[in-house]
Parts: sequence; C-alpha cells; structure tokens
Amino acid sequence: MDKEKRKPTKPTEKMNLSSDSPGISFHLLANEKWQPITIPAFSILLSLIAAAIVILLIGKNPLNAFLNLLQGSGILPKPSYAGYKGILTDFLSLLNAMTPLLFASLAVAVAFKAGLFNIGVSGMMLTAGFTATVAVGYSDLNSFLAKPVVLIIGIGAGAVMGAFVGWLKYRFNINEVVSTIMLNNIAQYVFGFFINAYIVDPVSRQSRYILDSSRLTLVNVEYGGLKMDIPLGFILAIAAAVFLKFFMDKTILGYEIKTVGANRNAAKYAGINVKKNIILAMVISGALAGLAGVTYYLGYFSSIQPKVLSSVGYDAIAVSLLGNSNPVGIVFSSLLISIISKGSTYMSSIAGIDQDIASVITGLILLFSACGEYIKFKIRRLNDRQLERKESEA
Amino acid sequence: MDTIIIDGLSFALPLFIMAIGGIYSERSGITNLAIEGLQGFGAFIGALAVILISNFAKTDLESLFYLAIAFAMIGGMVFSILHAVLCIKFKANQVISGVVINILSVALTSFLTSQINKNAFGAASDKFQLGVSKRFTIGGLSRIPVIGAVFKGIYPFEIVIIIIAFFAWYVLYKTRYGLRLRACGDNPHSVDAAGVEVSRIRFTAVMVSGALSGLGGMCFAYSISANFSPNIYMGYGYLAIAALIFGNWKILPALGACLIFGFAKSGGYRIVQLMKLPSAYSDLIMILPYVLTLLLLIFFSKTNRAPRALGEIYDKGKR
Repeated sequence: MDKEKRKPTKPTEKMNLSSDSPGISFHLLANEKWQPITIPAFSILLSLIAAAIVILLIGKNPLNAFLNLLQGSGILPKPSYAGYKGILTDFLSLLNAMTPLLFASLAVAVAFKAGLFNIGVSGMMLTAGFTATVAVGYSDLNSFLAKPVVLIIGIGAGAVMGAFVGWLKYRFNINEVVSTIMLNNIAQYVFGFFINAYIVDPVSRQSRYILDSSRLTLVNVEYGGLKMDIPLGFILAIAAAVFLKFFMDKTILGYEIKTVGANRNAAKYAGINVKKNIILAMVISGALAGLAGVTYYLGYFSSIQPKVLSSVGYDAIAVSLLGNSNPVGIVFSSLLISIISKGSTYMSSIAGIDQDIASVITGLILLFSACGEYIKFKIRRLNDRQLERKESEA
Repeated sequence: MDTIIIDGLSFALPLFIMAIGGIYSERSGITNLAIEGLQGFGAFIGALAVILISNFAKTDLESLFYLAIAFAMIGGMVFSILHAVLCIKFKANQVISGVVINILSVALTSFLTSQINKNAFGAASDKFQLGVSKRFTIGGLSRIPVIGAVFKGIYPFEIVIIIIAFFAWYVLYKTRYGLRLRACGDNPHSVDAAGVEVSRIRFTAVMVSGALSGLGGMCFAYSISANFSPNIYMGYGYLAIAALIFGNWKILPALGACLIFGFAKSGGYRIVQLMKLPSAYSDLIMILPYVLTLLLLIFFSKTNRAPRALGEIYDKGKR
C-alpha cells in the first residue's frame, strides 16, 4: 500500500493529463472518509524518505537503520539477546517509555480542543512528580496502597495547576501561553531548589531513588526466563485515551468544550458557560499532565533530575498534532515517536549512526505532518480539476 | 547596584531584540512560537561560520564577533523561511509549525554540531567554543552616579542591538511598510483591498523575526554561555514571547518587560550574594522574574489584546 501511495506525489502534472486512469493510490488519498488515516501515513512516508536521504548522506544504509530502530524497540526480534532479555523485554520497555508521552499528548489535546494552548505540560509533570515523590516515594506504605495514592496525588497536583492557569485566563485575561511558560520556569527552579536542599543523592546529583512499592512500573519481574519492566500506567493511559474519546464525542460537557474552542463568542451566545468550560478543560488537561508526571518520574524513572524540565511536555505538543488531537490517533502517533526514540540507542550501537538522528527523524515526521492540510488541499484541487474536465468533455 | 544594571542589561537586550522579532511576526498575523528554535539555529550558523573562518584564516575568535552576528542573522532568517512557508504557503497551523521548528532546530543543531566536530575537527564534542566578547566602558558617562552603570561594562552587541531596535521601531511605526504590516495582523482584507499582497508582507515579517532571533541567540552564545551547545535552548525564546505578550504586542512596553526580566534576575543574584546565602538559594531567587511577571500580568492584562487576525490563515474569499 505504501509503495502505491508514493505515485501521486511526483507525477501530479502527469495525472492531470491522463485524468481517466488516476490509479488506486490516488483514490485512497482522495477518499475523504479515509483521509484522517491516509494523509498522516503519507506524511510519515515522506518523512521516512527524507530521513533515509539524511542517513545516506552520512554514508550509512537507511534500510538497516530503520530495521535496527524496530529491533531496538522490540517490534522485530534482534539477532541475539543478552541473558534475561528478549523481544518482550524490549517491547515492554517501549510501552514504559510511551506511557508518559501518551498522557502528556492527551493533556495537550484536551486543552487544544478548548482553544487553549498548554505549553506547561512539562511544568505540571514536574509538579506532580515532585509532590508524589515527597509524599509517597520514601514512605513505607505497602504497594497496594502506595500506587493508587501516587496516582491520585499526580492527578490532584496537575489538576490544581491546570485550574490555576484556566482561572488566570478567564479572570484576568492572562494568555495561557505566557502563564504556562512562567509556571514552567517557576516549577523548574522551586522544585530544583527543594530537591537539591532536601532529597538529593550526593552521588547521582538527582533526587534519591524512590522505593519500589510506590513505583508505577514493576521492575525486574521474572517470567519465562526473562526479566521485564511492566508499566502498570500503560493500561491506565489507554483507558484514559478511550475515556477521552468517549467524553469528547458523546457527552454534553465534551461538546461544550469543543464549542468553546471553536468559537468562544458563539458559545457564549448559545448560553454555554465559557468560564466553567475553560477551567474544566484545563483541569482535565492538568490531571492528564499530572499522570504523565507520575508515570515519568515514578515509573519510567525513579528519581528527578533537579532544574531540568523533561522534553516530553514539548514533544507531546507535536505528537498530539500528529494524531490530529484525536485520542485514538494520539495512541498511534505516540507509539511511533516512542519507537523512534527508544530504538535509536540500539541503532546507534549497531549501525554506528549518531543517536541524535532519531530526534532529527522525529522532527522531520512532525514537519511533514504539519503539511497535512496542504496535501489535503492539493488533492481536493486535483479532484475538482478532474471533475471539471470530465464535465467539459461530456 | 552597578552589577545589577550591567548584568541586567546584558540579559535584557538580547531578549528584547528577539521580542521585537516576535512582534514583527505576530503583528503581521503569524503566531511565532518558533523564536526559541530560530535563536538556536541562528547562533549555530554564526558559531559554525566563525569557527570555520578562524580555522582557515587563523584569526582569533573575538575579532570575528561582528561576522558571527551577521551569519547568525542570516542563519535565523533562512531557517525562518521554513516557518513562513509552512504557515503562509502550506497553510499549516501556526502554533504547530512553531513547535515543530523548535524541535527540528534542537535536533538538527545538536546532530550537526557533534557530526561536524567529529568529522571536521576530529574531536568528540557537542559544542563550539567561542569565548566571551570584550566589554568596554564609556569614560565620561560612566562616572554619573547610579545611571552611569548603564555605560559600564558594555558588550559590543548591546550597541548593535540598540541601533537595530531603534531602526526596527522606526520601520514598524513610521513607514508605509510598517503600517501595512500592522494592518495585516488586524485586518488583512483591507491590506488586500489596498492592492498589497498580504502573503508577501507576512513572509518578510517572519524573516525579520528570524534574523532578529538569530541575533539574540548569538548574543547569548557570546555572553552567558561563551560557546554554542544544545544548552542554548534554555527557554529564552519562550521568555521573549512572554515579554512581547506582556508588552501587549508593542515594542516599548516589551522593552519594559525585558528590563523587568533582566533586572529581577541580576538583582536576585545580587541579593543572594549580599545576604551570604548558600548558592542553592539562588535557584529560589531565580523565580523572581517569573513570579513578578505573573503578578504584573494580573494587573495589566485586562486591556491586553492580541492582533485580531493573529494565527488565522489569510483567506481572500472570507468575509
């Protein structure tokens, strides 16, 4: 299917000439029902071609590199494994890395639906992660109690911060872009200070490792001769995506949030409480960001590096776009981005390609997917022209 | 007191020039979150150019400072064309395009820096060493009490920035081009009706913003960090965006916002020094500019208004 899709890109002019036989591939792209899937797939294909050219330029084999990416992330089997490791180990660690990204991207998407732009996911993640670490991470709660408490604290901390942003936006007309940037910086320094002052590990220069009982990823679980990390948060993340899909499409609240996002004045005129919806959207967004934070700092990692904001919050903005702000799309886009970043370690060790190329590929994918609208527009115009021609011939 | 003013200015001015770039772009109707990426990419090109030149011509790096600035502006401008094409020609969502540019810029510059270091200079390093540019003091003026500090320990780039900033202010508010640019952000159809192409004005505005961001990035590379490395993505670009929104999309209030950032930052450090607190406390003081901004915004945001057509794709047929 992928190969067929390449056709309509280059010979666009030719297609105008031979309008009678545009080919299956073109129909696939032109079919509006399938466009939400075909257009991102097409953009990804274009970006992989661009990435292949970059890899060729530094003198390596791009196909091998892509294969290594898939192998490193546990999608395809590697030729050999070290003891206690297998494809399942790699795949689970992929899911482990993907969980925070998925939550964070959903957080961005909810705010986006309400017409708000949440750059503050990173700051909210840090707030939630720090609060949960301090409150539960070093306590002797048993693990059945500790894990839910971590989740609740994460949700709570994120939601409070989200509500604050929403309130500033509505009450004082403070642009959410500015307030979230400010809060990001404040969180970064304040928690950096507290980590350095009270819970720093003198050797690693990070916060002390949390106890396993409160960690949301079960580490080194032995099963079938393999040692694996099982990310419990992943199930929750998928559940959150499904819930969000339902919430946005099938409930009144979701509809109101979308209306406020589409046109604030029209929503007000229709009797929708704009204030409530702005704050609600930010609360949900914050809660999801909080979940991203606890699954990141108390799941994927088990300590916090002081004075550093994770890049997950920024990547999430782009992942959310790649998934078209649609929860189901986001599941796939975050999987794709995680595969690339997770597989890159293996790729650089096997093929000797600099690991940074992974982020270049990610950047290219996002770049091309930003052009999705344009591709859609071009295709529609091609379609219209063909119709016109047929009419004039008839 | 002197150090507060000297350090504050050297931080505020590069921020200010990036904010001016942002104002150009946003007043023309193109949301520009890409400033962070543009400043980094500009600084990368500037640093790369002077490193290469100094290697071949065997000159020392400091004398190439103005060349670095020129290359950084060109680099930022070229990279901003990507943003302009995405937003104007490809009708992409402007916010998203900006974020994509930031991500791509971080990825590309760190990839290229380590590749170039490895292949051209045979050293595994992720930075280009630049050094700090020389400061100078204007003799007579610097002896005025308090205000004299403004003329002490000046980086050469501060002068460059002030000249360019004044020029940018003049163009934006006093020329026909500036008027059209501002009209593009509020009512693009009127510009179109006057027979001027909206997309062309917006394109140039984004390119100006790219050039000015590159300049700002280069100044940071030559002062605070003394090198180019991926550490240049410290979020200063986002801070510049905050400053321009705080300044209600106007140049002079944006200068005020940048000065607040600069003085709050240097003042905070000074307080830590004077009170002889352990250096860890400087982290707490570092939040001062941000808290101050939030507080001030609470009082001043009521009248804030973004350009009306900001972020909208220009559609000729729309009523």
